[in-house]
Amino acid sequence: MSTDEPSVADEVRTTVTVDTDQPWALIGLAVFWGWLLARWTNDFLLPAGLAVPREQSFFPVGPFEAARETLLSVAASLGLFGAPFAFLAGLFSFVVGAIPSLPALGRGAWLTIVLTVGGIALGFVLAVPLSVARVYGGRWLRWVSLSYTELIRGTPLLAQLFVLYFGLPLTQIIREVPGVGVGYVPGTAAWVAIIGFTLNSAAYQAEYIRSALESVDAGQLTAARSIGLSKVESIRYVVLPQGLRYAIPSWSNELVYLIKYSSLAAFITVRELFFQAESIANETFRYTELYVLAALFYLALVISASVLMNGVETKTALPGLGGKREA
Amino acid sequence: MTLLRVEDVHKSYGDEEVLKGVSFEMDRGDVDVLMGPSGSGKSTMLRCINRLTEIDSGDVWLDGTPVYGPDTDVNELRQDVGMVFQDFNLFAHLTAVENITLGLKRVLGVPKAEARERAMEHLEQVGLAAQADSYPAELSGGQQQRVGIARALAMEPKLMLFDEPTSALDPELVGEVVEVMRDLAAGGMTMLVVSHEMGFARSAADDIHFLDSGTVVESGPPEQLFERPEHDRTRAFLTGLQAETHQ
Repeated sequence: MSTDEPSVADEVRTTVTVDTDQPWALIGLAVFWGWLLARWTNDFLLPAGLAVPREQSFFPVGPFEAARETLLSVAASLGLFGAPFAFLAGLFSFVVGAIPSLPALGRGAWLTIVLTVGGIALGFVLAVPLSVARVYGGRWLRWVSLSYTELIRGTPLLAQLFVLYFGLPLTQIIREVPGVGVGYVPGTAAWVAIIGFTLNSAAYQAEYIRSALESVDAGQLTAARSIGLSKVESIRYVVLPQGLRYAIPSWSNELVYLIKYSSLAAFITVRELFFQAESIANETFRYTELYVLAALFYLALVISASVLMNGVETKTALPGLGGKREA
Repeated sequence: MTLLRVEDVHKSYGDEEVLKGVSFEMDRGDVDVLMGPSGSGKSTMLRCINRLTEIDSGDVWLDGTPVYGPDTDVNELRQDVGMVFQDFNLFAHLTAVENITLGLKRVLGVPKAEARERAMEHLEQVGLAAQADSYPAELSGGQQQRVGIARALAMEPKLMLFDEPTSALDPELVGEVVEVMRDLAAGGMTMLVVSHEMGFARSAADDIHFLDSGTVVESGPPEQLFERPEHDRTRAFLTGLQAETHQ
């Protein structure tokens, strides 16, 4: 029997590079993350002598104010034809209003990311056994998994956070843990929020993973059993590696949702992005500026997550399994 | 020496009785072929031997061990029974060689390096050493099935079950798989094959069991069964099969 038959490997295995169709989006993201990382380093890591004060922005307001004034006077001198200049002056006004609030929003973004990543990662750890129990478990395991999923998906996330924060003595316990709320370590309320997002996200992720597991061909489990793997081993080594790849696209949705839903943590006093924006707006009455700014932050985070998950999807794709499928 | 004994096996799915008391025996080194019209219970019979399907009544012995005994560990039993599937069922996320090492490592506890070495030997045996690092989607159907055979062989089973190993293949790919099976048979492997491959049955089979609606209608060596079938049903089936093969 010949051993040198041509394999179709070379045709199928194509390298997928990072999407560079939108260089502007990538440049924008790079600037956003560069600033964010600089801000966190300054606020959380640098010693007080070296750091810029926590509330002081990296960017001076003066030049933007001067530019606004100039534009306004040009607009005034041109009369009716000054409208474009007045509009530009409005943009500079926005920047002038935004700059002083950037440090607080940067810190809020840190908490938003911690809440999201914590919730999604710990939720994933819970979601895998939940989904496996649902698909491969016996009657009781299926029932427990289904009940949990339906309970969580059938009640509002905000209500769940309230129960955890106000209804249970969680805060007293967490407050006793040393280091909570110091520096970049989130405070008590944030930990409660992470628990809440974990429990909530686990239910949604379990649904995504469940349908992915169900789409793995039944013959895979049969073949695994036929070589003597136990049911648990077969799921661990054969079904899950395939199912989780199928789950990535829908699972990415959950990440994007959670970034935005993490704003609900503001209602249990977590100083995340939305909380910061709202409290500054309440002090300065610059509601439009602050909410637009917060929206831009969320947009940047969501686009970052999409880019990241596209990367993960490409990295984990195997020939004939996952990745960008044809048809 | 008897390796496999199937005795009065019954199996029903709901109201439909698929196996109505099937009995046969195989000696070590035997190659037996199960033939019969679709729905006659051939595949079910095969899956009852490694308990992918559980029987309702009857008995199955493998090498003196009661397959359905209360103390029989199903996972250990299955190490002794290799199975090759109609749809190959290669693990889609693993390369050809990884498909083979998985069982070696996780079931037999063979260390990584040795597992790969042994896997490579089996790939060579089926003529696919060059494709060791290809994923199933990158292989042709015939190549996939040969990896499937190597995967089963690597567990060093006492008995190999083939469930219609060539019926999902394009006609031009059947030959390479049959060739591997012939080599195996010549090497002394005990094989129970569900297949309508007349060529293979004629040249490699010791006995052919003709199943129809859940019973063994007739058993015998290929020359007897093909040339002088005793039963009308066997004759009718074989005539149809030959017409199909020669078309």
